[in-house]
Amino acid sequence: MMDKILFLPILMPLVLAAAIFVIPEKLRRAKEAMAVFAALMNLAVAIVLFKGNIILSLPWLGKGLEFSLRLYNFSSFIIAATAGFGFLITLYSIMFMRGKEYARQFYAYLLISISLVNGAVLADNLLAMLFFWEGLLLTVFAMIAIGGQFAFKAATKALIIVGITDLCMMAGIALTGHLAHTLTISKISLPLDALGSVAFVLLIIGAISKAGSMPFHSWIPDASTEAPLPFMAFLPAALEKLLGIYLLARICLDMFKLAPDSGMSIMLMVIGVVTILLAVMMALIQKDYKRLLSYHAISQVGYMILGIGTAVPAGIAGGLFHMINHAIYKSGLFLTAGAVEKQAGSTDLNKLGGLGRKMPVTFICFIICAASISGVPPFNGFFSKELVYDGALERGNLFYILAVLGSFFTAASFLKLGHAAFLGKSSRENEKVKEAPLPMLLPMVVIASVCILFGVYNALPLNGLIQPIIGTIRLNGHNFAGFPPNTMLVIITLVVLAAALLNHLFGAKAGGSGIKAADHIYHAPVLSTIYEKAEKRIFDPYNIGLKVVGIFSKIAWRLDRGVDWLYDTAAPKLAGISSRAILKLHSGSYSKYLVWSLLGMLIVIIFLTHSV
Amino acid sequence: MFLLFILLPLFSLIVLNLPFRAMMKKAAFWWLLVLLALQVYLAIGYVFGFFGFDLNAPIYPLSFSLNVDNFGCVALLSTAVVLGAVLLAAKYIIKEEEKLFNFISLLFIILAGSNGLALTTDIFSLYIFIEITTVASFILISFDKEKLVLEAVFKYIILSAVATVLMLLSIALFLLVSGKTDFSAIHAVLINSPHSLIVMFATGVFICALFIKGGLMPFHGWLPDVYSSAPAPVSALLAGIITKLVGIFTLMRLLVSVVNFDNPIRQVILFVGALSVVAGALAAAGQSDFKRMLAYSSISQVGYIVLGLGAGNALGIMGALFHLFNHSVFKSSLFINSAAIELQAGTRDMNKLGGLSAKMPVTSTTCLISSLSTAGMPPLAGFWSKLIIVLALWASGNYGYAALAVIAGILTLAYFISMQRRVFFGNIKEEFAGIKEPGFGLLLPACLLSAITIGLGLVFPFCLKLLKF
Repeated sequence: MMDKILFLPILMPLVLAAAIFVIPEKLRRAKEAMAVFAALMNLAVAIVLFKGNIILSLPWLGKGLEFSLRLYNFSSFIIAATAGFGFLITLYSIMFMRGKEYARQFYAYLLISISLVNGAVLADNLLAMLFFWEGLLLTVFAMIAIGGQFAFKAATKALIIVGITDLCMMAGIALTGHLAHTLTISKISLPLDALGSVAFVLLIIGAISKAGSMPFHSWIPDASTEAPLPFMAFLPAALEKLLGIYLLARICLDMFKLAPDSGMSIMLMVIGVVTILLAVMMALIQKDYKRLLSYHAISQVGYMILGIGTAVPAGIAGGLFHMINHAIYKSGLFLTAGAVEKQAGSTDLNKLGGLGRKMPVTFICFIICAASISGVPPFNGFFSKELVYDGALERGNLFYILAVLGSFFTAASFLKLGHAAFLGKSSRENEKVKEAPLPMLLPMVVIASVCILFGVYNALPLNGLIQPIIGTIRLNGHNFAGFPPNTMLVIITLVVLAAALLNHLFGAKAGGSGIKAADHIYHAPVLSTIYEKAEKRIFDPYNIGLKVVGIFSKIAWRLDRGVDWLYDTAAPKLAGISSRAILKLHSGSYSKYLVWSLLGMLIVIIFLTHSV
Repeated sequence: MFLLFILLPLFSLIVLNLPFRAMMKKAAFWWLLVLLALQVYLAIGYVFGFFGFDLNAPIYPLSFSLNVDNFGCVALLSTAVVLGAVLLAAKYIIKEEEKLFNFISLLFIILAGSNGLALTTDIFSLYIFIEITTVASFILISFDKEKLVLEAVFKYIILSAVATVLMLLSIALFLLVSGKTDFSAIHAVLINSPHSLIVMFATGVFICALFIKGGLMPFHGWLPDVYSSAPAPVSALLAGIITKLVGIFTLMRLLVSVVNFDNPIRQVILFVGALSVVAGALAAAGQSDFKRMLAYSSISQVGYIVLGLGAGNALGIMGALFHLFNHSVFKSSLFINSAAIELQAGTRDMNKLGGLSAKMPVTSTTCLISSLSTAGMPPLAGFWSKLIIVLALWASGNYGYAALAVIAGILTLAYFISMQRRVFFGNIKEEFAGIKEPGFGLLLPACLLSAITIGLGLVFPFCLKLLKF
């Protein structure tokens, strides 16, 4: 009976979401209370289940397919993190969503998303996981689409990109099931041979696109400006990263034995590094608070993929640690963006400035989270990045150098963001801005404190959560808690951060304001042309795909016209011409008809007698 | 017993015309109707085996050889149905009593001739019945003695005379080869000596003569003129049975019962059939005269019958026979519809007509049903016969001809839909604002024929089980 409790985190949010839909529009308070209650209940369930170890297996679909759920340290950790973020963001949304007409839908979709994530994480059967995974696609679409009239296009873009990658994953699941003769995840153990690699790549595509890695990233910046902000803080920044990296880790660690020096490992590392660099370069030049953050949400995934892709203990530990750290500080950053949007009415950096004095708590939270993402000690981001660097260095200098370069640009872009939004002169319309209300501040403060906690006392997450996931065998006696042992790397990191600060000071002085601090990079000789093209979305795989589809549809249209012409013009014309010709032959003269008949007869008789 | 089918009409004709002519005038119509009803009953009864006795029993003291088979019964049935419809239409259209009586007298001759044609088992008797029917039809066509009709009938007589000569020549050659004139005797001889030059020559000549009589391309020159200029009931009669029986039914008899129906002959039949199907349909598509369009459509549909025959298997011959019956039903119906339109609107130029369906709903509906049946739309009767023909062509390996038959079906649909649109659909023109349906006398035959088309289409799968082919 005990194992049936695993249905609770899946079914309970779903039922409560339905209840929110049913509550009348007028009872706003009841609706909000219900949403907070649901998030709290989910958190309670997650805490009860935390560190549990339960397997539920029910007969399903026949042919040996079982509906199996498995709670163990990894999945319980993800569920707990989801529940925590879910609760904080619901709390935050109470203020942010007040007065917005789609609030009810938002709460309901949020709860449905939580339910689906819980399901996908718990599922120990690839088919069941796929079911929850695909369901998430719908809530993503719905949550972007409620953002307004322009949001629909962004929602469609998200649906198409994620839909295509999910299709790849579906094929991967089919192939994996074929190779392994089972769909139960905990029983799959495949070598990376020719077919195995294909299945691996297909599954990886599904996982990293959920996490928002390049080249499947381009819907995230578009959604960031259109969708309701708590959505960005919750889904792409926290939830989907957790889910995508969770699956990536399961694929690399459990289902396939990813070894260092294998081709697949190098492929993952390349994807990671490319994602880090390209996305951060784009982030650097953004002039919108939310859009800048969304590019970082892409860039940081690169560190996680790089870390797990190294396939060495330090890298994997770093990647997983970075996953949870990123979820924390990125949602924190999005929440500060929401506070600024709510209070100042805009997220356009040109209109912001000098908010630091007016919103001190928000500013402090921003500083902590920004320091964290930039990898400043002693915040949590520093420790996870150091582990990733350690792993990358073990696999090759190039990967390490590029990853550190990414760190430089991250720091530079956050200096620019902080400078432009919170320092400098405040514009006239910002004069009356006040600090955000308490329900919005509370989640930010909690998140910022966790940033510090996980940094200063990193043994808590590393010993308690991350290292049990990797397992003692793979860890091989390592313990990554505490201060990084490699002092050389720490010194290099600090030098890079100092360089970023110098670069910012130079840029700000040259440009005259914080927002123009990155202009000298933007206008650098080769980069400027690349940037120009990137801003026109020439490199967006979605747009390239649309162009290809456009060409294809044009060809198809031409073909269709051709067939149409054949039916509508050519065939009737041909019939008309032959019809007139036949009528012309019928002149009405009987002698002519007689000649036809006799000639016909002659031919018939010759034909018949000839055959004798 | 079946001799009565020939003797009764002839005897009736004499009795009606001799002593008490004035008294008999009214009775003639009803008497013919009774005879036709009896014929329908007997023919259906024979096919489905209603009777316990042998209808083929000879009537003494005459010893004239006749034989009834399913083949002949289908011909008897079509004759009775079409003649009945024509009789009803003629009673409505021909107002003068004297003229109507003459018309009905000629119908008795046609009935005798057609029945004889259907039942005879002797090649020379066959020739005689063909001539009886044809000559009676000459008179019927020129009934109104208008200039156009006389010109058309002149063409018909000339070409028909050529056909007659050819037929006689051929019969003489068969007599020379076999020494006899019955079908079975000639067949027995021809089976033993196939492919001799003289037999092939005689067969070719006979076939071509029948092509002329049946109006197949390129032997069809007389047909469009005659069909379009003859009085409406006569057009229905010609298109419905006379050319079909005289030409096509006789061709079937010849090929199935007399000659050795093998490959070179099949090729000729198939080619002529296909040519008629396609060229007839194309020519029909270009017409603006309603009746002329029906005439070309008739050529095209006869092509289908011949194609089915050319397939050469049992299925094909059955399809041909079935299409022959269907064609006589729907084509007579269409000609009666054209008569209604010509009578009410004063023109049959399709470009001048338009929007008649609102004022003439019955005519419009029956016309649509017959058109769709001609084009082979399920579930109407024409669908089944065309389907069987196409299947038979496919089964016999003539894939090209099968495809052609299907494509020509689309063409058929195209010109009939175009006709329907030009005549019945759309907005009514001002000059036809006061137009009305014709009287019940003309609507009844159209409705009856449409009912047969629908009914036969619906129960056909059931019929197929019963027919002993």
